[in-house]
Amino acid sequence: MKLKLALLSAVAASTALGTSALAQQKVKVGNLVDYTGATSSVGKISGPGKVDAFNWINANGGINGKQLEVETVDYGYQTQRSIQLYKKWKDDGAVAIQGYGTNDTEAMVGFIAEDKIPYFSLSFSGHLTDPAGVSAKAKEGKIKPAPYNFFGAPSYSDGTRSLVIWAAEDWKKKGGSGKPKYIHLGDNHPYPLAPKEAGEQLAKELGFDVVPSIQYALAGGDFKAQCLALQASGANYAFMGNTTGANVALLRSCATVGVNVQFMANIWGMDEAGMKATGKAVDGLVWVVSQNPWGADVPGMKTFREISKQSDPAGASYRPLPYVRGACQVLYLGEAMRMADKAGKLNGEGIKAALEGMKDFVPFGTDGMCPAVTWTSQDHRSVDTVGLMRARITGETEQGDYTELMAKGVMKLEKVADIKVERKPGWLGY
Amino acid sequence: MNTTLLLQLLVNGVIVGALYGVVAMCFVLIYKASQVVNFAQGEFVLIGAWACWWLVTSLNLPFWISFPFCLLFMSLLGVLVQIVVLRPLIGEPVISIVMVTIGLSIFFQALLRWIFGVFTQPFPPVFATQTVSILGLNVESAYLMSLAISIVIMAGFAWFFKYSRFGLAMRATAFDQQVAQSLGVSVRQVFAVAWAISAVVSALAGVVVGLVSGVSASVATVGVKVFPAVIVGGLESIVGAVLGGLIIGLLEGLAQFFDAEYLHFGNLITIAPFYAMLLILLIKPYGLFGSKNIERV
Amino acid sequence: MALSVRPAGDFRVSYQQDRTIFPTRGSTLWCIVGILFLCLLPLQIGGKSLVSSYWLALVIQIAYYGIAALGLNILVGFTGQISLGHSAFFGFGAFMSAYLSGKHGVPVALSIPLAGLATGLLGVIVGLPAARLKGLYLAIATLASQFVLQDFFSRAEWFTGGASGANAAPFSLFGYSLSGDRKYYYVVLFYLVIMYVFAANLVRTRDGRAMIAVRDHYLSAEIMGINLTYYRILAFGISSVYAGIGGALMAHYTSFVSAEAFDLLLSINFLAMIIIGGLGSVMGSLMGTVFILFLPEFMQSIVRGIQSFGYAQSAAFIEGLAYMKEMAIGMAIVLFLIFEPDGLAARWRKIKAYWKLYPFSY
Repeated sequence: MKLKLALLSAVAASTALGTSALAQQKVKVGNLVDYTGATSSVGKISGPGKVDAFNWINANGGINGKQLEVETVDYGYQTQRSIQLYKKWKDDGAVAIQGYGTNDTEAMVGFIAEDKIPYFSLSFSGHLTDPAGVSAKAKEGKIKPAPYNFFGAPSYSDGTRSLVIWAAEDWKKKGGSGKPKYIHLGDNHPYPLAPKEAGEQLAKELGFDVVPSIQYALAGGDFKAQCLALQASGANYAFMGNTTGANVALLRSCATVGVNVQFMANIWGMDEAGMKATGKAVDGLVWVVSQNPWGADVPGMKTFREISKQSDPAGASYRPLPYVRGACQVLYLGEAMRMADKAGKLNGEGIKAALEGMKDFVPFGTDGMCPAVTWTSQDHRSVDTVGLMRARITGETEQGDYTELMAKGVMKLEKVADIKVERKPGWLGY
Repeated sequence: MNTTLLLQLLVNGVIVGALYGVVAMCFVLIYKASQVVNFAQGEFVLIGAWACWWLVTSLNLPFWISFPFCLLFMSLLGVLVQIVVLRPLIGEPVISIVMVTIGLSIFFQALLRWIFGVFTQPFPPVFATQTVSILGLNVESAYLMSLAISIVIMAGFAWFFKYSRFGLAMRATAFDQQVAQSLGVSVRQVFAVAWAISAVVSALAGVVVGLVSGVSASVATVGVKVFPAVIVGGLESIVGAVLGGLIIGLLEGLAQFFDAEYLHFGNLITIAPFYAMLLILLIKPYGLFGSKNIERV
Repeated sequence: MALSVRPAGDFRVSYQQDRTIFPTRGSTLWCIVGILFLCLLPLQIGGKSLVSSYWLALVIQIAYYGIAALGLNILVGFTGQISLGHSAFFGFGAFMSAYLSGKHGVPVALSIPLAGLATGLLGVIVGLPAARLKGLYLAIATLASQFVLQDFFSRAEWFTGGASGANAAPFSLFGYSLSGDRKYYYVVLFYLVIMYVFAANLVRTRDGRAMIAVRDHYLSAEIMGINLTYYRILAFGISSVYAGIGGALMAHYTSFVSAEAFDLLLSINFLAMIIIGGLGSVMGSLMGTVFILFLPEFMQSIVRGIQSFGYAQSAAFIEGLAYMKEMAIGMAIVLFLIFEPDGLAARWRKIKAYWKLYPFSY
C-alpha cells in the first residue's frame, strides 16, 4: 500500500511539474518526429538529427543567449495527433515548429498561415512552395497558399524533374534508340503522389513514353507480382516514390525476378541503412541526395561532427543521409531566429522575414552538407540545384552494420551529376 | 493477351499462396483447438522471424543449428501467451477474446520495433542457390523450402490427428471441451500444445519471409492475409486453410494481371482478397471446405 | 450486463417512475450540474480562460469520439454483434459532410445530420448481409468491409479527394460563424447531449429491450417473436448514424479529412473504448473514450515531467518512451480484459456501492 502511494505521488508530482515546466520564459519550439509510424525507417534517423541540432544550438549560445525549449513528440505519422500537438504548441506560445510528414503538413497549411507560425517540414512536397498563391495550381484551388511553410532542400517535384532530365541524357549516352519508357511507382498516398504529376509531365515533354504507374505499399511486403508487371511494361526508367523501407523490398523482389530497368528514387527513398538491407540489388540506383555523405572532405563536416557529439560523445558513429537533412532544417531555423532576434522581432513574422531574406545561404558553416538556400516572399523553392548520386555495392552486406560497410568501402555513394532545375513560374506549386 | 506474364504471376501466386497457407494453418489450429481467434498471428510470424534472425546473426551459429533453438523459443512463447493471457479469458464472449489478441498484437508490434529497431535487416543467406527457375519465373529457394516443409507438416498433422493419442485428444477438445474433459483429456495441455505448435510453424513462415525480403515490421502483414485464406478455406479445416491460402495467392496473381494490363487501378492486388472474402461470406459462409453448423429452432 | 442492480427497498409504483433515466433525484441533479459545468468550460473571463485551448481541444475530441463509441456500444454492447469496421463508417460520415458542404453548398448545420443519415443508410446496406452472420464470421466480415471502404476512400477522387483528402467548411448557423475551438465546442456539446439522451431512451423502449434480448439469447428471442434480422439491421443502422455524426463533427473541427486517418487501428481504438468503458453501458462509452484519449496524454506528461528534471533530452530516451506509449495502449486493453472485463462503468458502480454501504461493504 505504501509503495502504491509513493508511486502514485511520484507520478502526480511529475505530471504537475510537467505542466508547470512550460510556464518558464524560454524560446519555445515544437518538434515532430516519427519513431513508430509508417515512415519510421526514415524518422528514426532524421529525428535524432533534429534533436541533436537543437541541443547543439543551445550549447553554442542558443538564440543570442536565450535557450531554446524544444518539445519533441513522436506522433506516429498520424495526422490527427499532429493537429492536436500543433494546437497545443500554438497555445503554449511556440514561435516556430519543426514538422515532419507530407500528409500532416499539407493538412495544416491553412492553420499555419492563419496563425502565422513558421513551419519547417521534412516533407519537401511541391505543394508547399507557393507562399503568395500566385501559381496556376493555387488559382485553380488545387493547393493552398503556404506563406509560413519552409524547407531547405529541393522539392520532391524538382527532385523528380532532375531525375527525368538526367534519364533523358543517360538514354542518349547509352545510345538507346526510339522513345525510352518512364514509369512512376508508388503507393496511393500523399507522399509518393506528390511528385507524380511533375515527373510524368516533364517526361512526356522530354520525349519519354509514360507507362501507367504501378502501386506498391508503403508498408512493405513481397512485391514480386508488381515486379513482374513492371517487367512486362517494358519500362526503361522507373521512379520509386515510397520511402526506404518499401524500396528495399521492391528492389529485392525485382532483383529476384530479374527486371532490367534503371531505378531512381526520391530524396527519402534510400539511405545507407537501406543500402545495407537491400544488398546487391541496390547497385546502380540513382537518387536525389543533394549533400555529401558523412565523412566527406568538406568544411561542413566539422560542424556536423560537433552536432553528432551531442548524442554520441565518442564521435564514432556514421550518420546516414536523413540525419544530416533533419539537422539542416533545424539549423536554417536557428539562424533565422538569431537574425529575427537581432532585429528585435522574435516572432512568426520576424522569422519569416529573416528566412525570406536568405539568398544562397548556408547556416553555421555547413558548406557541402547543407544545401545553399534562397527563399523569397513569392517563391519558397529553396534549392534549384539537385545533386544526384548512385549506389555502388561491391560485396555482401549481411554481416556488419552500415558504419562498418561504409568504412570498408563495400557500400559507396558515387556522385552522378548536379542538375539545375530552373525555377519556372509554371512549375510553382506542384 | 500477355500469357507469359499471366503464367509467371500465377506461378508466383501459387508460391506465395503456399506461404499464406502455412500461416493460415497455424491460425486454424489455434481456432480448432482452443476456440480462440488469434489476431496476433502476424505478430507471431514476425517474432519468429526476428528471433531466428537474432540467433543467426549475433551468435554466429550456422543456420541449421540455430533454427531448432528458434523453434524451441517460439514454442515456449506460444505456451506462455496461452497461459498468461488466454487462460483467464476462458469462457468469455468472443468479442473479449478478439480484443485481447488485438491488444497483444499492438503490444508485440511496438515491443519488437523497440527491441530490433525499424530498419529492415537482411537475413544471412542459407541456401547455396538463391533462386530456382520454374516455368520461366525465378523463385527463391526459401519459398520452395517452405512448400516442401508445409507438405511435410500437413502430412504430419494428418497422421497426428488421426492416429496418435494426443491428436485424438485435441480433436475431441475441439469438438466439445466439456465432454473431452469429462473423459480425462487435459484440456489445458491441449491448449498449450496447440499454441506451441502454431507458434513454431509461424516461426517457419517468418523465416521464409525474412529470407526473401528481409526482416522488418512488414512481415506481420501476412497476418492480415490469413483472414481471406481461412474464410475461403473454412475455419474448421486445416487442409481447407492451406487450400484457401493457395487460392488467395492465385487470386492475387490474377488481380495483378488484370490490373497491370487492362484496369490500371493500382491496388487491385491488395483489395481483391477482401472482396473475395466478402463474397464467400455472403454465399458460403463456412468456406469451401468447412463444416456447416446447423441450428434448428 | 444487467441494466442496473436495484438495492432492496427500491419500489417503483408508477410507470413514470419506471421510465426515468435516473433512479434518484440526486443523479438527475448531478447530471444537470455536469452539463452546466461543461457549458461553462470554454468561457473566457477578461482574457483569461477557465480551460486552456489544448484541454478544450481534447474535450471536443472526447465528445465526437464518444458519440461514435456510443454507436458502437449500441451495436456491440446492446445487440451483441461485433464490428471491426466502425472507423470506416466514421470516415464515411466525415467525407459525406465535407462533400455535401463543399461540393454542394449545403449549410454545415444541415450537412452534419444529413451525413449521419447517409452513414446510417450505408450501415443498413452493410448490415443486410451481415445480419446473417454470427460471432467470428461477423467480425471478419466487418474487417473486410473496413478494408474495402478504406480503399474506396483513398481512390474515389470525386467524393473524397482521393489520397490528398478533402477540405471541410467551417460551421456557421444563420450566418453566425461558429469556427474556432471555443465556439465549435457548443455545437459538439449539443450533439453529445442529444445523442446520449437518445441512446439512454432507446435502451428503455421496446426496440431497445428487443436488441438486448437478441444479445442475451437469440434463440429464445426468436421464439418470443422478435425478428432477429430486423433488429440486427436496425442496430447496424443506428450505430452507423452515430458514427456518421461523430465523423461529421470531426471533419468540421479539423477542417480537413484524409483517408488514412480511418484505418483498422481506429476501429480497434473504438472497440477498446467500449470494452474498457463497459459493454452495454451508455455512461461507460464516455468513460472509455476519456480513458483511451487521456492515456497518451498522461504518458506524455510523465515524459515531460521527467524531461523537466533535465534528464532525457537525448534522442534514445524520447524514442524509448514513444514505444512505451504505443505498448501502453495494447497493455491497457489486455489488462482490462483480464482484470476488469466489465469495464470502468461496472467498477464505478462497485465504488458507489462500496461508499454507500461503508463501513459495511463486504
